[in-house]
Amino acid sequence: MSVQLLDPNVSKKNAGKFASRAQTKRAKFSSLHSLRLPRHFWHINQLEKSLTMETNNDIEDMEEEEEFGFSRNYFLAKELGSSGKKSARKLSEINLVDEQELRAAASNIEPKHEKEVVALMNSYKSLYSKWVFELRCGFGLLMYGFGSKKALIEDFASMALTDYSVVVINGYLQAINIKQVVIALAEVLWDQLKSKRATSSGNLPKVQQPFNSRSMDDLLAFLNGSEAEDKDCFICVVIHNIDGPALRDSETQQYLAQIASCSCIRIVASIDHVNAPLLWDKKMVHTQFNWCWYHVPTFAPYKVEGMFFPLILAHGSTAQSAKTAAIVLQSLTPNAQSVFRVLAEYQLSHPDEEGMPINILYTVCRERFLVSSQLTLNSHLTEFKDHELVKTRRHSDGQDCLYIPLTTEALEKLLMEINQ
Amino acid sequence: MAPTSASAADSPAQSAPDTIENNLQPFFVLHKASSRKSEKRSAGTGKTRRRIDLSPSPTKKTEKSEECDEQHRFEQLRMEAFELVWSKIDSTIKDVLRGINTNVFDEIHRWVCESFYTIKSFGTPGIAEATRAFPIVTDASSKLLFAGLVLTKNMEFVDDLLTFEEVGLCLKSHGCHVANLSSLDFSAKNGIGGCLRGLLRQFLMATLDAADMSILASWYREQENNNSPVVVIIDDMERCCGSVLSEFILMLSEWVVKIPIILLMGVSTTLDAPRNLLPSNVLQQLCPSKFVLGSPAERMDAVVEAVLVKQCSGFSVGHKVAVFLRNYFLNQDGTLISFIRALKIACALHFSMEPQSFILGGLLDEEEQEGEKSGLLPEIILKNAPQLPLYVRSFNRNQMAEQNGKSLVHGLSELKGLHKCWSIVVLCLYEAGNCNKIRLLDLLCEALDPDLYTSKASNNVVLENDCGLPITSDRFMRQKYSTSQKGGLISQIIRKVRDLPAATLYQLLKNWEKITMDVPEIHDKVKELQSEFRFEDGKLKQNVDDISKRHSSLSPINSEKDSKAISEKAAALLDSLVGDFFRPIECIPFHETVCFKSVEKLQSALIGDPRRRIQVDLLEFYKILRCSCCSKSGNILVPSMHDTSVMYTLAQEHGDLINLHDWFQSFKTIVLRPSKKGKPKSKQSPLPKKRKDMNESENKSEASIQARFCRAVTELQISGLLRMPSRRRPDCVQRVAFGL
Repeated sequence: MSVQLLDPNVSKKNAGKFASRAQTKRAKFSSLHSLRLPRHFWHINQLEKSLTMETNNDIEDMEEEEEFGFSRNYFLAKELGSSGKKSARKLSEINLVDEQELRAAASNIEPKHEKEVVALMNSYKSLYSKWVFELRCGFGLLMYGFGSKKALIEDFASMALTDYSVVVINGYLQAINIKQVVIALAEVLWDQLKSKRATSSGNLPKVQQPFNSRSMDDLLAFLNGSEAEDKDCFICVVIHNIDGPALRDSETQQYLAQIASCSCIRIVASIDHVNAPLLWDKKMVHTQFNWCWYHVPTFAPYKVEGMFFPLILAHGSTAQSAKTAAIVLQSLTPNAQSVFRVLAEYQLSHPDEEGMPINILYTVCRERFLVSSQLTLNSHLTEFKDHELVKTRRHSDGQDCLYIPLTTEALEKLLMEINQ
Repeated sequence: MAPTSASAADSPAQSAPDTIENNLQPFFVLHKASSRKSEKRSAGTGKTRRRIDLSPSPTKKTEKSEECDEQHRFEQLRMEAFELVWSKIDSTIKDVLRGINTNVFDEIHRWVCESFYTIKSFGTPGIAEATRAFPIVTDASSKLLFAGLVLTKNMEFVDDLLTFEEVGLCLKSHGCHVANLSSLDFSAKNGIGGCLRGLLRQFLMATLDAADMSILASWYREQENNNSPVVVIIDDMERCCGSVLSEFILMLSEWVVKIPIILLMGVSTTLDAPRNLLPSNVLQQLCPSKFVLGSPAERMDAVVEAVLVKQCSGFSVGHKVAVFLRNYFLNQDGTLISFIRALKIACALHFSMEPQSFILGGLLDEEEQEGEKSGLLPEIILKNAPQLPLYVRSFNRNQMAEQNGKSLVHGLSELKGLHKCWSIVVLCLYEAGNCNKIRLLDLLCEALDPDLYTSKASNNVVLENDCGLPITSDRFMRQKYSTSQKGGLISQIIRKVRDLPAATLYQLLKNWEKITMDVPEIHDKVKELQSEFRFEDGKLKQNVDDISKRHSSLSPINSEKDSKAISEKAAALLDSLVGDFFRPIECIPFHETVCFKSVEKLQSALIGDPRRRIQVDLLEFYKILRCSCCSKSGNILVPSMHDTSVMYTLAQEHGDLINLHDWFQSFKTIVLRPSKKGKPKSKQSPLPKKRKDMNESENKSEASIQARFCRAVTELQISGLLRMPSRRRPDCVQRVAFGL
């Protein structure tokens, strides 16, 4: 940031200007937000006030403020981070409870506002018929707002969508095979068509090929097929967290968009990430997903969705990272483990150095008969690097050197574990 | 999920272990379509609906179920009406766009034919050569690949997807073999095999594992009519992977004698695009030609004219919605397709919200069958009229309950008439404003403004009571209208008409004559003016076609004076038309049936704003939950607040990095803080309980606070408002969103 290049007084003054503007803006919206100004702001603001008279041209600035609000807020926050006294308190200063206890406590958290949350969920029931109408019109429904929407959407599906088959995709999981999903969809559609033809005494062409051996294009073509002339014959696909970890990559999103654009498919999806819309380009938004947005905050806890997220107070501890590293190391050959040990011991005995130069590592390993050639060492190192056990950085004298990205304590713990 | 759905008593009973298992499945079938589906749907959804509405009064069950059936029947009607109306709008839009593109399409077709003959002139391969499974190359010129570059004049290629589909269909109808590829087929991941498979898929209608050009060559030879060109369309060339595309082009050029392939590629920037994307050896193989499509603004005007002004479907939008649509087009997206989508959402919302909207379907039906069976509409409405009041009552629309079917029929046909006049005047204005580059959408926004009309009408009391055409004689009032609207587009146009040169004016009158054909009242006036034109300007009559020549042959002073007088009259005519017939739809009774006005609903359905809304949810959660405990506290954080909200509010005080230790400590302080106000109603607040716990076992409470902290962090992480600590800074999390 350019401000930092100026002398400290100027930068402070600028910050003050920003702060005072931000403050007046905040005061305006104070009824809206329960934002409170940090203490630094007040100091800077007082200083600013004593230096200059505050001008009141704020109203014409309003538009501009809106526009630049975001970027200014960003820089303000940056400023705060760098100019304010950075708190150097360590997480380890908290008397952290044991991880198991923490997990037990996490599963027994007393819900707050239970009554209100239920009332809120029930209030959305009046929208169900509208949602069905829009699905039938050919739109996809996209639910957003804070709180888990899983229960809400599944309730909607089982109450109001009984006339349609419903397939649920749990996007919050870590991995989903999208092809399997499409195969399942094709099978459901096939069943639906079959039962329908049975009643109307028509017959379908025999399936030439089982669905699971067909190509994606074929499957999509089937889902988009004209075999179902009835416009109202469609499968509802519920996607919890379409922005979830398993579905976040662009290829999967392209497939989802293609699925969504099929004539026999309607999508009801939820997003939780504030930047989720960035997953889609205009083609996907306007011609494929065809979203109707609904803001439905539920304030229900993200129980299932958060299942795979590490608890921050458990994750941050050295025990955890040492443990994962140990698990990886134990799966490697004894020689590889020994090479790692050489590196770790070097790092522990030279805590102030950037790392261990490769040639030194090679010499030591050769002396101990751990490796016979540079090639074998390199293959070990590649393995370590792939698992992020080892990283390289440039030594001050320009030489590449290796280091283990763990703290000293964690490294000691790790050595103890692999020595066992 | 467990606590909420369990406490929502009327949710279907699902066994708990089942749910948990399902939660961990990547996907599962929740349920299959019920068998009732195959019966008439009416019974089906009726039942579901009843289940939903059941809760408040089980005593009035029979009455309620009847009402529900009734409701459902009307919903079905509205659904059908929507389908009818939207398919009409959709096909109109397609027709309009096709109309705009016809010239270009014809040009492209001509070029395809010419290129084909050029390729043919290189000689057709003999049977021995043709059946060989490798390309034949005789000389360099026979390796030339004809490539049409279609300049879309539009950075957003979405708008042109349809165009390329259409051009494909058009060429197909002329007997060409056509394949449409997109940039997705030219990805680096799939390589040349990907696009080849795409080609074979489209031409051979089969997926083959081994993609090979020789298959395509033998397919082409086997075609009965192998005397037609093969056109490959790539709709967004610039988004293709350059290396794959160049490989593809090189390959095609080798086969061009055997398979007369002609490329057609969409380019959204400039003609330089291929040069930037492809290496020179590939460019040498191309023999490019240029085609230019209409600009987005042009297409937009045409669509607006057909759909919103001429009212192909009877569906219309209110002033605020029109203004919103315009702003959405200009500020948000700038693509025609987004505009169309917005329109579709408006249409769907209208039919899902407005109980009487099903009539629109009948109206449209009637229009289509005009001549054979006129007067179908009254029949439909009268048939449904007995139910209407009941139905309407159920929607609490008392004002409508009093009107019976007949007055509705009358009102609607009147509405149609008035609206037709209005749209003709708008078109006349647009025609007049055309030379000043006035956009139809802007004009429409002003023309729909009911305030303008009411301010005008308030000057004239007679107008208020009159449902029909207002009295035309009061010239003074009309003058007043136009002068009072000085800044507006309409008055601008009228003013401009006064200054029009005779030639343009003559053309304008001619156009007006065409536009007003259907409404004799206006048509006569235009005719009158036209005849005056001829009388006053004798020479004009003789030489209508060569306008410019005529214009120069007139003596300057005379003609100026004459034309001034006529253009004055034309402006007056326009002014009077505006005064007489310009009644925005919102000022006509019964407009609720056909006009969508709820701009807030449209906006929220069209533009989700998760970035802002989710943050607001957290910062102002008490407005949504409406709990009694937290809303009174104002800006002060109290322990009863939602944990994640407390955390996010605290996070606002930090810079881009949040020290976890500090954050946890302040969270803990707040959670453990005894609320001073909370004392009298301590029973409701969970805090005292907590404190008791703490006294009992401090450790347990510490664990639970840490767990709550962890969960809140996780929830913020799911919302994307936080980034986890990096290895470099293990004690800090990063804030992602700054400001709303």
